[in-house]
Amino acid sequence: MQAYIIRRLLLVPFTLILISIIVFIFMRAVPGDAADVRCGAAGNFDQQCFDVVREELGLNENKFNQYFKWLGDIVLRGDFGYSLSQRAHINEEIGKRIWNTAQISVLSIAFTLLIGIPVGMVSAVQSGKPSDYILRFLAVMGLSVPGFWIATLLVIFPAVWWGVRLAPDWVGWEEPLTHLQILAVPALIIALAGGGTIARIVRSSMLEVLRSDQVRTARSKGLRESAVVSRHVFRPSMIALFTIVGLQFSLALGGSVIMESIFNIPGMGLWVISAVGERDFMIIQAVVVVFAAWFLLITLLVDIAYAWVDPRIRY
Amino acid sequence: MTTADEIAGSLGLEAQPSFARRRLNALGRFVVTQPLGTIGAIIIIVMILGSVFAGQLNTVDPKTSIREAGPLDAPNGDNYFGTDRSRRDVWSRVLYGGRPTLLIGFGAVAITMGAAIVLALAAGFLGGIVDVIISRIIEIIIAVPAILWLLMFTTAIDRSVQTLMFSVAFTFTPIAIRLFRGNVIQERSIAYVEAARVIGASGGRIMFRHILPNLAPLVIVAASITIPAAMLAEAGLTFLGLGLEPGTPSWAQDLGPSNRPYFRLAWWLVIFPGAALALAVLAFNFFGDSVRDVLDPRLRGSGLI
Repeated sequence: MQAYIIRRLLLVPFTLILISIIVFIFMRAVPGDAADVRCGAAGNFDQQCFDVVREELGLNENKFNQYFKWLGDIVLRGDFGYSLSQRAHINEEIGKRIWNTAQISVLSIAFTLLIGIPVGMVSAVQSGKPSDYILRFLAVMGLSVPGFWIATLLVIFPAVWWGVRLAPDWVGWEEPLTHLQILAVPALIIALAGGGTIARIVRSSMLEVLRSDQVRTARSKGLRESAVVSRHVFRPSMIALFTIVGLQFSLALGGSVIMESIFNIPGMGLWVISAVGERDFMIIQAVVVVFAAWFLLITLLVDIAYAWVDPRIRY
Repeated sequence: MTTADEIAGSLGLEAQPSFARRRLNALGRFVVTQPLGTIGAIIIIVMILGSVFAGQLNTVDPKTSIREAGPLDAPNGDNYFGTDRSRRDVWSRVLYGGRPTLLIGFGAVAITMGAAIVLALAAGFLGGIVDVIISRIIEIIIAVPAILWLLMFTTAIDRSVQTLMFSVAFTFTPIAIRLFRGNVIQERSIAYVEAARVIGASGGRIMFRHILPNLAPLVIVAASITIPAAMLAEAGLTFLGLGLEPGTPSWAQDLGPSNRPYFRLAWWLVIFPGAALALAVLAFNFFGDSVRDVLDPRLRGSGLI
């Protein structure tokens, strides 16, 4: 087990470096660079402007040197450098933004489990009854109806019909209730899709456990059905969730990118989208590396928890 | 004169139904046992026909303004779904708008399945270093959220339908490989593979002629369940204004930044394209679920699909 964790931990930087190379190549293949955007925005189309800006941003350097300088700064000093278009320090921006994205994705995972587990359990226990069909139908609805459409509708119609603003202007923790509301609505929308997926997994794995020998034994010794479910069915049927929670985390981060742009939340997602428009590849590179690091650590933790919960797992 | 049927009858054999007859029976069984899947299939067929024959369905050019109509006209007899800010017909835009989404859904999944089959066979059957390399690449692709891969592709290459198709396939292939690889490894240890090896079949022949046919149900199920996910992936990116070229009629495009300021004035702008997209994804999911129930009930809720 310890050896496994160490092996996995050693693999994380290796994977991250490969990702950084791929992202770097992608971003240097982008037609046009920050100099085009900046001089173009200023209405200055002289070659001189481009030259000055490129020199200042170090874009004239050899690509290899650029890459190793970038990577070296991250590895040695944890420094992602400066953004190209606004010359803001990327670390500072990440520090401000990452918590908003983290809150949305953690909240949405929590909502996903809070919706998915009960729905899946009721669906399994009531299997074949009308309530099962209705819940399964709702689960498919949840994972089919695009979140961005639901969000758009929720932003517009309550405001038009009843004057209720579900998406108030951004405020930080100074106003805790409004702040939580701003984060909770998008998190809930992301959770509809995830909850549908989780409900289906919980239902099927629970049905499998309900048919197993241990449950038949528990029933035949006269245990109440509620005790059978809570003592003998719940835990083994939750184990299936560990295989999917990592993927859900990635989906939650992706969902957060879309939701931040709809609800105007200053997180990593909104930032990366505006960076695409400005050809600011320093920001895109930083966001991709940070998201990947985040994902790799989460999946590592999930796998360790998996082994801890399910004693049959041996690494 | 005796016919083949009579001979068969005299021998106590039932007459074998013809191939077409058997297919028809299977279809009938599907319709009876899978009502939701059947409804899904009908909606899918209607949507495909609607977008293929968009030109014949009382539409106008979705990209040009109509002179007779005003901006933001409510739905009426001439413009069934109303008009948008630039006096374009929303009905036409919804019908033509199905084309890129459906095309990317089907195209991306075709590429995904092709690539995933070859790579999963290589990883699962050959094993060793090939397996390690493929697994590492999968880890790299999965570690970055799909939407970031998509926006890197569209920023670095272009925003055409082909690029989106390829990049969506790129993000779904690792998941499909993981799914198929496990099955390839299971199949590899079954006696028929050993038998094939004993009679001297080459590795390639065993992979493609012996193992591949046994993967077919799994591939069909994975494909039918990946199509809606692929459509949503493209739609999310286009919705942000980073997918398909601005102006291209597409459901997600019309829900995106260019129309957003007018949604509060004109509900038809947000309802019709959104409902079309939601209905299409829903229909594919219902159909996919039914296909899975019929072909491989073991897969139900296996997580990935």
